[in-house]
Amino acid sequence: MSARAADRDGRPRLRAPPAAVALLFAALVGGALILASGANPLLAYYQILVGSLGWGALPDTLNWATPLVGMTLVAAIPLRGGMINLGGDGQMVIGALVAAAVAVYLPAPGPIAAIVALIAAGIAAGLYAALAAWGETRHGIPMLISSLLMSYPAIGVVSYIVRFPLRDTTTGLPQTSMIPESARLPTIAGPLNVGLLIIVAVAALVVFVDRATIVGYELRLRGVNKRFAGYGGVRLDAQATRVMFASGAIAGLVGAIIVLGSQFRFIDETFLTPSYTWSGLMAALLAGGEPVGAIAAGVFFAALQTGGFAMQRETSIPRVLTLVLQSIVILFLAVRHSVGRRA
Amino acid sequence: MSEIITPFMMQSAVQAMTPILLAALAGSLCQRVGVFNMALEGQMLVGAFAAIVGSYATHSATGGVAAAMAAATVFSLILAFGATVFRGDPVVICIGMNLLASGLTAYLLRVLFGVSGTFSDPAIVGIDKIRLPALRGIPVLGWGFASETIITWAAWALVAIVSVVLFRTALGLRLRGVGEQPDAAETLGVNVNLYRIVTILCGGALVGLAGAQLSLGAVSVFAEDMSAGRGWIAVVAVMLGRANPLYAAGACVLFGLADALSIRLQSQGLPNQLTDISPYVVTLAALVISHRRRTRAARPSAEIAAASPAPAGEAQPEAR
Amino acid sequence: MAAFELEARGVVKRYGALLANDHVDLAVERGEIHAVMGENGAGKSTLMSILYGLQRPDEGAVLLRGAEVHFRSALDAIAHGMGMVHQAFKLFNSLTVWENIVYAREPRRGPFVDRRAARQSVAALAERHRLNVDPDAVVTKLSVGVRQRIEILKALYREAQILILDEPTAVLTPQERDGLFEVMRHLAAGGRTILFVTHKLNEVMAVTDRVTVLRDGRVVDRMRTSETSPREIIRAMTGRSVNLKVDKAPARIGAPALEAVDLAIAAPGGKPTVDKVSFAVHAGEIVGIAGVAGNGQSELVEALVGLRPADGGSVKVAGRDVTAADVAERRAAGIAYIPEDRAAVGAALGANAADNLAMGFHRSAPIGHGALIDRKAMGAKARALIPKFGIKIAGERSLVGSLSGGNLQKVVAARELSHEAPALIAEQPTRGLDVGATEFIHSQLIAERDKGRAILMISAELSEILALSDRILVMYEGRILADVSAEEASEETLGLLMAGREPVAA
Repeated sequence: MSARAADRDGRPRLRAPPAAVALLFAALVGGALILASGANPLLAYYQILVGSLGWGALPDTLNWATPLVGMTLVAAIPLRGGMINLGGDGQMVIGALVAAAVAVYLPAPGPIAAIVALIAAGIAAGLYAALAAWGETRHGIPMLISSLLMSYPAIGVVSYIVRFPLRDTTTGLPQTSMIPESARLPTIAGPLNVGLLIIVAVAALVVFVDRATIVGYELRLRGVNKRFAGYGGVRLDAQATRVMFASGAIAGLVGAIIVLGSQFRFIDETFLTPSYTWSGLMAALLAGGEPVGAIAAGVFFAALQTGGFAMQRETSIPRVLTLVLQSIVILFLAVRHSVGRRA
Repeated sequence: MSEIITPFMMQSAVQAMTPILLAALAGSLCQRVGVFNMALEGQMLVGAFAAIVGSYATHSATGGVAAAMAAATVFSLILAFGATVFRGDPVVICIGMNLLASGLTAYLLRVLFGVSGTFSDPAIVGIDKIRLPALRGIPVLGWGFASETIITWAAWALVAIVSVVLFRTALGLRLRGVGEQPDAAETLGVNVNLYRIVTILCGGALVGLAGAQLSLGAVSVFAEDMSAGRGWIAVVAVMLGRANPLYAAGACVLFGLADALSIRLQSQGLPNQLTDISPYVVTLAALVISHRRRTRAARPSAEIAAASPAPAGEAQPEAR
Repeated sequence: MAAFELEARGVVKRYGALLANDHVDLAVERGEIHAVMGENGAGKSTLMSILYGLQRPDEGAVLLRGAEVHFRSALDAIAHGMGMVHQAFKLFNSLTVWENIVYAREPRRGPFVDRRAARQSVAALAERHRLNVDPDAVVTKLSVGVRQRIEILKALYREAQILILDEPTAVLTPQERDGLFEVMRHLAAGGRTILFVTHKLNEVMAVTDRVTVLRDGRVVDRMRTSETSPREIIRAMTGRSVNLKVDKAPARIGAPALEAVDLAIAAPGGKPTVDKVSFAVHAGEIVGIAGVAGNGQSELVEALVGLRPADGGSVKVAGRDVTAADVAERRAAGIAYIPEDRAAVGAALGANAADNLAMGFHRSAPIGHGALIDRKAMGAKARALIPKFGIKIAGERSLVGSLSGGNLQKVVAARELSHEAPALIAEQPTRGLDVGATEFIHSQLIAERDKGRAILMISAELSEILALSDRILVMYEGRILADVSAEEASEETLGLLMAGREPVAA
């Protein structure tokens, strides 16, 4: 329950939208940090603004938003039903590796290979995520814990595979071979590729399912009261498994898009540095799993982070600050407005 | 057998266990008082970073340890007040804290020391090991403790102390009541929020100690995100141990041995990407086995229920 | 004249626009058992929480033996000799009896708890007041009656002189209740004062000395129990003469709509929770299951509805075997279910009325079409049901979380009844509801029965069972001990059966 219009005694209370207050608070704390390091906060924030929403920067922002919004959906779908998927990192790299492997080694014409790669990535990652659901339904291990714990081995095994069996030995780096040009996702303009359209389509699908289908209704009501959903006939275990599969599949898709659309190979240790998963989780938490709000928050965070790069270029304030700002926003809302799994 | 379990392996196992043990102790206390603490990872990172900063500034290990405990305790104020007075969702607060710790330490690393990734400096003084050559004669256990820091010794002592306090003293009884049934405790005059806040802060100090051991206990280095999942393993140890310090310590021993085993396998030639994952595999297996044994006894598990997104965790509507 | 032991003078308490206590005067003498009666929402709980220090009055005063007191907290009240036994026990389930009793007042040796002293005090206290308990038992393993004794001992350990008992008999068998009355009389004889909050008339007539009746936040009457009658008290509580009996036409029985055959649910370590239960509910009849909570009724209902797998036996709905079917399939086969816990199971408090009224029936027309859901149809259904059931809510888009107990139960009933399922299971359908809401639900159940539905009603209120049922089953320790027609049953015979004893043959 976010801001209540009236407090317990029935007196109406002034309502400033909590997100705005949180943002202001984060800006103040961030400003203090910047000042303490000897730089100018106003200049820093100006750079963030220009560097993300300025005409020249917009393509970069959208490009960053593609995986970030994707990972936001990964977190938002289970969150809508009161569940948490913390294994996005592992699921994403599994998808990325599968996509790279299929694109490089599948003997099929380019575009077909690309499509198969995308689908295979989604299925592989989805199955891995569904394992975490199975861990809870069959073995009582909370999904929150198992999805996170499973992420580490996934990253480890994928890392191993890239460094040894599938390694491109012509370069000295831990990466696979380049995927053929015909299998790459076509570019739209500048850094933007078809991946953006794929994510937009997925986002639209998620919103549609949430608003207009039985599945969406049942998931939403599970998030409000799980026992009520079960009492009403919702098959809770199957639902959990399917939701986690969908969530993981999107994560795998995001990994595939990064490989097929930007990097054109799987380079170890480059997927996790941008923190798409955790920023996506924060965006989803802000909205309590509600898809449209989560997507908006995801786009906002993408803008914040792209702006952060510009800020670092122009003022040499480390761009990690944007991640600090994000955390402060989520903490402020979690503490002051009970935002979280039940917004 | 002695080829598999070497003195070096035991020494590194005990050393590696220490941060997880301290974190599990903190987590157990928080669980006992009714707050699910998932921010152990972030708290440990904050402690590790503060230890480096403190040691660098004061050129002493003690300065580092003190800074670590102080910083982690202050950091824990977020959870302490957020989950009690402000009634926020502990799970979201903890996730936020973990991310804040990661970002903030990375930011400060760049701003204070001008580096990214890892930081090491001759000015940093690590914690000395207490060498007890006499123990080298005792197989396995002796090997483990022949050369460890004071923090390691403190950790094991604290396991015993916390157990006694929890189960034998009036304070411990009240603490357990607060976690079990807060409104019952409140009606009988126990200030639930106060107990929770103080417990979380004390837990923070313990995890700060863990962080100090991490960055100053072996090689004096800070690396970004160096807690690397240890906080999560501590969370699992708390769950497996049902918030009982002794059982949680047992789980930590299990994980420490798995970790040491993986290092051993590494030296045998297995790639480290694969061996690094063994603690997690062991953890997952332990969770499955533990659940199986518990369902056989058909007793409901309060911590699992508390741990899942359910009333401590899942959407339980508040009847008005 | 000696001052009253406990007095409330002109106590006022407001919650926003609601006046919960309106200049309430209460006077209790030392050594008496004083009943505080009223419907739900009359202001009893508010008054008690003020007397116990959990709330502070906006106006007015509380006096103890003639001296004004201002309790700042429950602890303060306890220090002044107040003790309270809540309806929902506040016990530490995983701790032992002695730990629960001495909690926060432990006998100590330094920082350590003096276990021997604690156990001894508890045992001595229990003996003195004839409250049989085993100090070393762990609370989870204890029955409700024993847990209540622990709550009373907690108050006595803190030297309570005035005991407030809030609906203490709700969960007791008639025999346990009589035992409680014995304890109450013994305590009163020893000089302690007892405030007995209840809505049960016969108990008030049986054990109390005086009665204060609240209605709509005001004291409407005070009487000496020996000088009044149930009729008078009810008139005071409701402001009108209420028909205590429910008029119903004789049942017209049809085919069995809900059957259980040798239904069994095992429990770890021996005695089954549900032990080969068989019965049938026919169209057009109301079958009531009487029994104290905890004898397997909840598990039985879960097995009938599909929320719990049975370990043996079968369930049939409208002749169809649904033993292997899940909840959704059973609902489709024709079961509707009003659950015991309306807030935690029967509704989603964080969702709006339209969402709540659709659940369970959203998979088929008019709301569900294939994979899609028709939100407009959901809204229309809600808009039709709200006036039909008299639900006081702003609109179908309003959250149901702010509704009163009675209104929320109407939402649940509206949803389940609108499905027109051949079989309806109603668990504790009027628990916590005021007389008006109770009458409404009862009339709805009778109406459904007359339309030919089969209704299985589980209730801990014997009066409700006796008033509504055509046939009565008694459940004890997982078994059906009796299957009698309503005419043959009486509170006495049912009470004995509920406690596991066969009534003496007349």
